[in-house]
Amino acid sequence: MIARLEEVYVDRGGVTVLRGVTLQVGEGEAVALIGRNGAGKTTTIRALMGLNRPRSGKVYFMDRDITDVPAHERARMGIGYVPEGRRVLPDLTALENLEIAYGGKVPKDTLEWLFQFVPDLKRFLNRKGLYLSGGEQQMLAVARGLVRRPKLLLLDEPLEGLAPKIADSITRTLKQIRDEGFSMLISESGIVKRLEGLATKAYGIDRGEIVYEGALEGILEDEVARARIWGV
Amino acid sequence: MDMGLLAAQVFNGLVYSSILFLVSSGLTLIYGIMNVLNLAHGSLYMLGAYLGITIVVYALGGTPLAYLVAFLLVPPSVGVVGALLERTLIRRTYPMGEEYQLLLTFGLILVFDDLVKMVWGAAYINFPDPNSFLGGLRFGVYTLPLYHVILIALGFAVFLGLWTFFSRTFTGKVMRAAAMDREIVEAMGVDVNRVFVSSFFLGSLLSGLGGISAGPLYTASPGMGTDIIVYSFAVIVIGGMGSIGGAMAGSLIVGVLRSLAISFYPQLEIVIVFVIMAAVLLVKPTGLFGRPEFERR
Ligand SMILES: Nc1ncnc2c1ncn2[C@@H]1O[C@H](COP(=O)(O)OP(=O)(O)O)[C@@H](O)[C@H]1O
Ligand SMILES: [Mg+2]
Repeated sequence: MIARLEEVYVDRGGVTVLRGVTLQVGEGEAVALIGRNGAGKTTTIRALMGLNRPRSGKVYFMDRDITDVPAHERARMGIGYVPEGRRVLPDLTALENLEIAYGGKVPKDTLEWLFQFVPDLKRFLNRKGLYLSGGEQQMLAVARGLVRRPKLLLLDEPLEGLAPKIADSITRTLKQIRDEGFSMLISESGIVKRLEGLATKAYGIDRGEIVYEGALEGILEDEVARARIWGV
Repeated sequence: MDMGLLAAQVFNGLVYSSILFLVSSGLTLIYGIMNVLNLAHGSLYMLGAYLGITIVVYALGGTPLAYLVAFLLVPPSVGVVGALLERTLIRRTYPMGEEYQLLLTFGLILVFDDLVKMVWGAAYINFPDPNSFLGGLRFGVYTLPLYHVILIALGFAVFLGLWTFFSRTFTGKVMRAAAMDREIVEAMGVDVNRVFVSSFFLGSLLSGLGGISAGPLYTASPGMGTDIIVYSFAVIVIGGMGSIGGAMAGSLIVGVLRSLAISFYPQLEIVIVFVIMAAVLLVKPTGLFGRPEFERR
């Protein structure tokens, strides 16, 4: 087991947005987290990253209770984060974005290693975040989450807002990363098909509650998940 | 108009610009990185001058060595005081909102003024004139006091140093990154709290450097912190809040114009600065350098 949330409750702005979420990512697993907008996907991922502290419940990483460990230490322990909306640092170049995430100058072999997954990165390494296209920003965000070679990579709607062709190329990159043995949790707001061949296991989430746990393909057939997530 | 007097006032203005830059660059970088407008920033400048007095006048008897020691010790000491203020008091206001921050740092001005009166007394204290041992620099028909020349050079050197620091070094880039998106930077493994203390240290150090530099020029008095903070505030509004280049441009404008006003239209000394500030705000509300080093989006 790489990471686990156990009965996690999170309040945001005085409202309870996670209600007893229990979820687990195993070694080398790519797990999908599926739910509508506002269901609590981002909050779940932020709870794993340490950006939202649970009111109650526990967060485990590599068999250690990290509930009270701050986000920057979690990053150093091996949790990589690809945030919703990418959040590339606009006034720094792509390379400088990577440096911040790496904690200093990125060694050449680490850069070469990143290029295997995101070859396009080579092209815009010295361009400022502000001047990158949406697809380029997402590639950089993935590279930034990966640069410390984390044990767990959290990806919050990595395919959102991208043209289909670019979304496909990001999906290919993510498959390649999974094949290298990295564990990941990937959220997606509706189109389960986009994760086929990438994630095997899936959780469904609605109104802060886990409503499905099982194989990715099964979620579309599951009555509860269909009713709660798609209203059919 | 007397050209000699004009040249002399421009020169004096540049000296004042340099002091203003040291103080306002610290003010603007703390604002840019942390979104904190520290009203007590001027009090740290005053503290720099008084610590300087203590070393130069009381401890080491006004020798050239005394000045050297003071310039080496005072700025980092004031930096530490600023960092401690952030850790102990100012950080408590982050969850509460800006009005608490302003109230707290305004309160600190009063505390610092009273502390200075208690420790050093309310009377003005003069430094021994450093030009008495530094001498002058011949410049055409003029002889320029060397200490003044050194201060102008110091202002530009610090400007270049800061520019290099923020654009070239890793620590400088981390500080800018923390200003852009503190949460993401935290999630990338940076202890942002430490970045914040460091920026308070650096900003306060600059104010302390301004204080020890200004002391020998203008004497030390308990009101000196309030004077400088008012002008520094105008400087960073004119230049663009959070911009180091803007602090330099604003300092040059305010320093030189104020100096000219003092000798040609003394009644305009303060007015002129605020007229310029109002004009800039009307035409370009983000200041002359609207694209600061520390950008929040
Ligand atoms: N900063 C916030 N303050 C208050 N409520 C929030 C905040 N962020 C998110 N929420 C609420 O929490 C719920 C879950 O949001 P989120 O985790 O972002 O869902 P998702 O990522 O699935 O769209 C939503 O109802 C949202 O309105
Ligand atoms: Mg979301």
